[in-house]
Amino acid sequence: MDTDRERHRARETAFYLFTQQSLPACKPVLTPGWVIAIFLFMGVIFIPVGLVTLRASHCVVEIVDRYDIDCVPEPSRMDKVSYIQDDSIPKNCSRFMKVHKYMKAPIYIYYQLDNYYQNHRRYVKSRSDKQLLDGQKYHDTSSCQPVESNNNRPIVPCGLIAWSLFNDTFEFIREGAELKVNRKNIAWKSDRSHKFGKNVYPFNFQNGTLIGGGKLNPEIPLSDQEDLIVWMRTSALPSFRKLYGRIEEDLDVDDVVVVNLMNNYNTYSFGGKKKLALSTSSWLGGKNDFLGHACVFAGCSSLTLAIIFMLLHVKYRRPYGDMSYLPWNRKSFSG
Amino acid sequence: MSGWGTPSRTVTLGRVQPQSPALRTIYCNHREANFAHRYKGNSISTTKYNVFTFLPKGLYEQFRRVANLYFLMVSILSATPYSPVHPITNMVPLSLVLLFSLIKEAFEDWQRFQNDMTINNSLVDVLQAQGWESLQWKKLQVGDIIRVKQDGFFPADLLLLASTNVDGICYIETANLDGETNLKIRKALERTWDYVTPEKACEFKGEVQCEQPNNSLYTFTGNLVVDNQTMPLSPNQILLRGCSLKNTDYIVGTVIFTGHETKVMMNSMNVPSKRSTLERKLDKLILALFSTLFSMCLLGAIGSGIFIDRKYYYLGLSQSVEDQFNPSKRFLVIILTMLTLLTLYSTIIPISLYVSIETIKFIQSSQFINKDLNMYHAESNTPASARTSNLNEELGQVEYIFSDKTGTLTRNLMEFFKCSIGGEMYGTGMTEIEMGVAERKGIKVQEAKTSTNSLREKGFNFDDVRLMQGAWRHEPNHDACKEYFRCLAICHTVLPEGEETPEKIRYQAASPDEAALVLAAKNFGFFFYRRTPTMIYVRESHVEKMGKTQDVSYEILNVLEFNSTRKRQSVVCRYPDGRLVLYCKGADTVIYERLGTGNDDLNKVTRVHLEQFGSAGLRTLCLAYRDLAPDLYESWNEKFITAKSSLRDREKRLDEVAELIEKELILIGATAIEDKLQEGVPNCIQTLSRAGIKIWVLTGDKIETAINIAYACNLLNNEMKQFIISSETDAIREVEERGDQTEIARFMKEEVKKQLKQFLDEAPQYFCSPSGPKLALVIDGKCLMYALEPSLRIMLLTLSLNCSSVVCCRVSPLQKAQVTSLVKKGARKITLSIGDGANDVSMIQAAHIGIGISGLEGMQAVMASDFAIAQFRFLEDLLLVHGRWSYIRLCKVVMYFFYKNLAFTLTQFWFTFGTGFSGQRFYDDWFQSLYNVIFTALPVVIVGLFDQDISSSLSKKYPELYKEGVRNMFFNRRIVAIWACFAVYQSLVFFYFVSLSSSTSRDSDGKMFGLWDVSTMAFTCVVVTVNLRLLMMCNSITRWHYISVGGSIIVWFVFIFVYSGIMTRFDRNDNMFWVIYVLMSTSYFYITLLLVPVAALLGDFLYLGVQRWFFPYDYQIVQESHKDDADSINTPDSQETKEHLTPDEARSNAISQLPKEVSKHSGFAFDSPGYESFFATQFGKYVPPKAWDVARRASMKSKSKPK
Repeated sequence: MDTDRERHRARETAFYLFTQQSLPACKPVLTPGWVIAIFLFMGVIFIPVGLVTLRASHCVVEIVDRYDIDCVPEPSRMDKVSYIQDDSIPKNCSRFMKVHKYMKAPIYIYYQLDNYYQNHRRYVKSRSDKQLLDGQKYHDTSSCQPVESNNNRPIVPCGLIAWSLFNDTFEFIREGAELKVNRKNIAWKSDRSHKFGKNVYPFNFQNGTLIGGGKLNPEIPLSDQEDLIVWMRTSALPSFRKLYGRIEEDLDVDDVVVVNLMNNYNTYSFGGKKKLALSTSSWLGGKNDFLGHACVFAGCSSLTLAIIFMLLHVKYRRPYGDMSYLPWNRKSFSG
Repeated sequence: MSGWGTPSRTVTLGRVQPQSPALRTIYCNHREANFAHRYKGNSISTTKYNVFTFLPKGLYEQFRRVANLYFLMVSILSATPYSPVHPITNMVPLSLVLLFSLIKEAFEDWQRFQNDMTINNSLVDVLQAQGWESLQWKKLQVGDIIRVKQDGFFPADLLLLASTNVDGICYIETANLDGETNLKIRKALERTWDYVTPEKACEFKGEVQCEQPNNSLYTFTGNLVVDNQTMPLSPNQILLRGCSLKNTDYIVGTVIFTGHETKVMMNSMNVPSKRSTLERKLDKLILALFSTLFSMCLLGAIGSGIFIDRKYYYLGLSQSVEDQFNPSKRFLVIILTMLTLLTLYSTIIPISLYVSIETIKFIQSSQFINKDLNMYHAESNTPASARTSNLNEELGQVEYIFSDKTGTLTRNLMEFFKCSIGGEMYGTGMTEIEMGVAERKGIKVQEAKTSTNSLREKGFNFDDVRLMQGAWRHEPNHDACKEYFRCLAICHTVLPEGEETPEKIRYQAASPDEAALVLAAKNFGFFFYRRTPTMIYVRESHVEKMGKTQDVSYEILNVLEFNSTRKRQSVVCRYPDGRLVLYCKGADTVIYERLGTGNDDLNKVTRVHLEQFGSAGLRTLCLAYRDLAPDLYESWNEKFITAKSSLRDREKRLDEVAELIEKELILIGATAIEDKLQEGVPNCIQTLSRAGIKIWVLTGDKIETAINIAYACNLLNNEMKQFIISSETDAIREVEERGDQTEIARFMKEEVKKQLKQFLDEAPQYFCSPSGPKLALVIDGKCLMYALEPSLRIMLLTLSLNCSSVVCCRVSPLQKAQVTSLVKKGARKITLSIGDGANDVSMIQAAHIGIGISGLEGMQAVMASDFAIAQFRFLEDLLLVHGRWSYIRLCKVVMYFFYKNLAFTLTQFWFTFGTGFSGQRFYDDWFQSLYNVIFTALPVVIVGLFDQDISSSLSKKYPELYKEGVRNMFFNRRIVAIWACFAVYQSLVFFYFVSLSSSTSRDSDGKMFGLWDVSTMAFTCVVVTVNLRLLMMCNSITRWHYISVGGSIIVWFVFIFVYSGIMTRFDRNDNMFWVIYVLMSTSYFYITLLLVPVAALLGDFLYLGVQRWFFPYDYQIVQESHKDDADSINTPDSQETKEHLTPDEARSNAISQLPKEVSKHSGFAFDSPGYESFFATQFGKYVPPKAWDVARRASMKSKSKPK
């Protein structure tokens, strides 16, 4: 009973405080002390975080090689597009990558495309998630326009994304011996197990007059076509990297890796670049100085601001809460 | 004055109904005959919707809002293939907003419906087959004869046939109609007095011919035809729906108007809703957003036109391509991409803004303003009441206050204070004003000693040994005294109530002046104790001997009522000895015009007295009488009766007839009544003027009275340079005496122009020098009339805007409205009108904010107002505390909405650049749709409710802070630009920090992020940052802030956990599947989540720090100086220590302390000096119709509105 009444009263009081607008509140006033303290605090937090991040990024060894121009033979360089579209010309090409720093396995192999709008609206929507999971059982593939069917038969996987599958291939040779490339487990596990059907096999794929990119082995179910799965996780920006595989051997300093690649993929039409990147990894991921730099910059500018404010505070101290600052109190000056 | 014709046009508060030419004929007690006319039934419905119209009508109402309509269009657009987003993206927020609004509407309408049902189903006795039968109100029909018992409400407009009281009299209370709680008398025609019992009533067969239903409350014209005998009907026989029966067992009446045709229903109108200035500026902001949206779309669309090219073969553009991506139709591409981007960027328009603002304002007004104990008037048990929630923030920007004097600045409490009888002045008291004057002159005032035997009573504050206790008999002019007192006791329309002893009787009077006068007569020994419709009984202390009394009865033959044209009231009475006398009391000007010749000395002396009274701030009336010869009276009375029964222009004719007899009067003397200042008025005015608010007093009083009240209120003082434009100058008088109207007008105009010009030339030299005196302008009604003409208006405006106070006296209600709209429209300043009477209605409606004093003089002002407060001094709380807070809060809410939507949409915009301008969406559909309505909705409402820069007591201590609102410091272009800059900066940080840092990053397993991973990361940063930014803009942070901000962020995470964790076969959101889990398994997520909000807010924080440091707002300085005593103010202080009074307890406490008073009087007992008659006279006379004549325009508007 008593507690009930007390609770009732407490509720009434709370409501009373509410209607009389006198709820207990903290009223922070941003005094110079606070401003300086907060800036200092920011500096103290962010500079170490930034440095640690930078260090992690610097630990990562990365070799990048742009090969799209050099892999076109000298005579064809004037008209790269017809070169790449001519199936009769062999496309193999060899590149040399020198390891400048010890690289610990696993070493990730990425291909990087620039000026490639994987995030274009027409491109992004041209897929059928249901078909990827259910295969030909699923008929409504209108979203796959314009690569929906061929010769009145459905295409599996349909859509522009799959159609334009990247199909350059890479082989790595060190000191005459081939480096083993592990191409398993390069796609998101969630993608493999939930988005791509285990019993769905490529069908009628790349059979049209226009070939966009790589072909798929119709014997392997989609859930195991990891290249496709990686490719179909569309990128956010027009310049992106995608995982190709893993070298599970360490590379020593001054090792030279010979890359035998098939330069199949056409980026010449639209002036895109192709790059190959070998990279190790840290707890933070790949080599990315941006986060570290940003943190250090934020920390440093906070510190600088704190110091500037401190100097200002010493030099031009504004007496806080000085009523003579109020305009109606200094009327005598300005009128 | 009598010379002016008064076209009787009734003007009413509500819609003006077109008068049907035909008369209505009602066959009483004859259902079949009436059936043919198909009169409307008596059931009423005040609901806006019914079951079928609710959806269409409610939706129509909602889509009248541009933002909603826009979102509807976008939703439709997003169902087309051009849309990058799923239709739900725009449908969800729109439907949530609509749902919220519709539920609110439905709830309100349901309550109205419930009310209607209760009313329609209440029972009333109807005559059926010789007996009374209970019938529901809704089944009542025109012509039915019904019985209403004591305290019952009249179910329809009735014609009173009979009453259980003698002489067919009944008493009614009209509180529901006009708020007046005094009883009014209604009297049945003598012919119908008998129909009290059902048996008798059955026999009644009559025909009522009357006007068509209209909304004029105080008029009724019609005739009752019984047995071929025609009898005129007047409002005196009409009982209006909504009134209740008092002091009468029951009455019998016949129904003449039913249901929606009753006068009260025809008067119920929607108060034209006012929109606040802030909201109108908000429209501009929305417009700016629209143009931003348009240019963003245009930019993107042109980009897409340029970008699209067949070389991007992977886009499959080589074969037949739909138009939007067809490189050979670039122009079409641009157009269609415009549509695409329009749907994509639609979030830039904050759809939930209006709903949030409405919610905030509603709570502000219903919970804060209405329940503020500081604005609760215990004596009258009246809390403040916000009658609209549209204008809360407007209260924070008021620059001009137009105030009525009587009842607003002064209490409507009249005390008989002095008098002048037969050329002798009586009364020793000194008014506050006189004391003030004396003080200013430096004379020391001693509190005059009151004689020990002085009698004080509410309404009587008179002391003079020469008159009191019957001493007047020894005065040399005791005959005049006798006449004077009789006049006071007889010439009035007061109703006595209660026991007939001098101690216990109470007087019900139309105006407090009247009650005070009758009270005075009582105290002088002429005790008026009973009234019947034809007689007045006065217990006169014996004229010769002390201590003996004698009951005298006077027959009242005619009452010539008071109205504002006549400004006088007369009673023709017959003494017991047959002497016929006309007693008249009225305004000095009116009475002096009608005095007979001779007695010039008395007249002159009395005029001097009148002036003295006036300068002491007293209200004066002149008393006069005239002996009538019987034959003269008889011939006049005939004319009077014809006038009274005329169907058309009755009032005008009555006035004309009255003129015939009210002449050759003999002056007896004058009364002076003190009009007491309201509590705390001078202090409040001083505080308000420190807040930079200019106060104008608009009053009907004389120039001297007005000036003196202004002095007493601190509005004027001797340091001020006063400009006085008065029509009471010799030159003007001279021209007036010549009597040529056109010449007078021309001359006055010239004169006013000359004066204005002169003052305008003088003015700069005063206000240019900083220490110079402030300026004040005093102008009277006649001059104002000319000064308001278009040619002089500008001069008047310029002059008055430079004055810190302006007093307009002798102004009509219409002029009050004109002056108000002069400042409102001419100077574009925010105006507030405050008044208490019917004559302030037009002014209240004309101003941006109308405030009614819910006090003594009826409810009409309150009904027309936006806010009602009980005391003038509550303005201080209303403006400085509530208004100021509301303004600051609303500004914050609006700016925050603007910022958060801009920042969010811009991230999308930057993304567009990276997608070949294709209009690909960055965020998932649900993210975008719930951003406004879930993830960022609540905290901003909390800020709108709870944010306080400084406490209420400091707000009142530093009224100067109010100026920040007047100057609109918190919502102007600069502020918008600053917020926009930070929104742009933050959006850049959101997009580029997240996307750049993700471009080469991956989890430690080497896998890369795709589009949806990046966008989820970015959205998380946006939600966190935007919510944190809200905390940064708070001046006070309560628990609710933490809960709502933390809650919003948590809700986002809960949402994304569930959303990305679920994938069913029916709803495959492949894009989002498992995204958040993968993200959160990377260290990248945490570092980014730490870095991005901080980096985004660093700019804001720097701005806040620098702004406070170098360009502090005034309130910030006050904040700082009171930082340390914040605790004592914060913790529920004084009120809390009042030992936990809950509002209810406080109220009941207050009620128990109330003086037990049955009624707050007002309104004329026999007939109200209605608002309309007051107004109607103004129409034909003073004011030629003008386009900016507000009251007129309002009525025209309502006319054109379809019913």
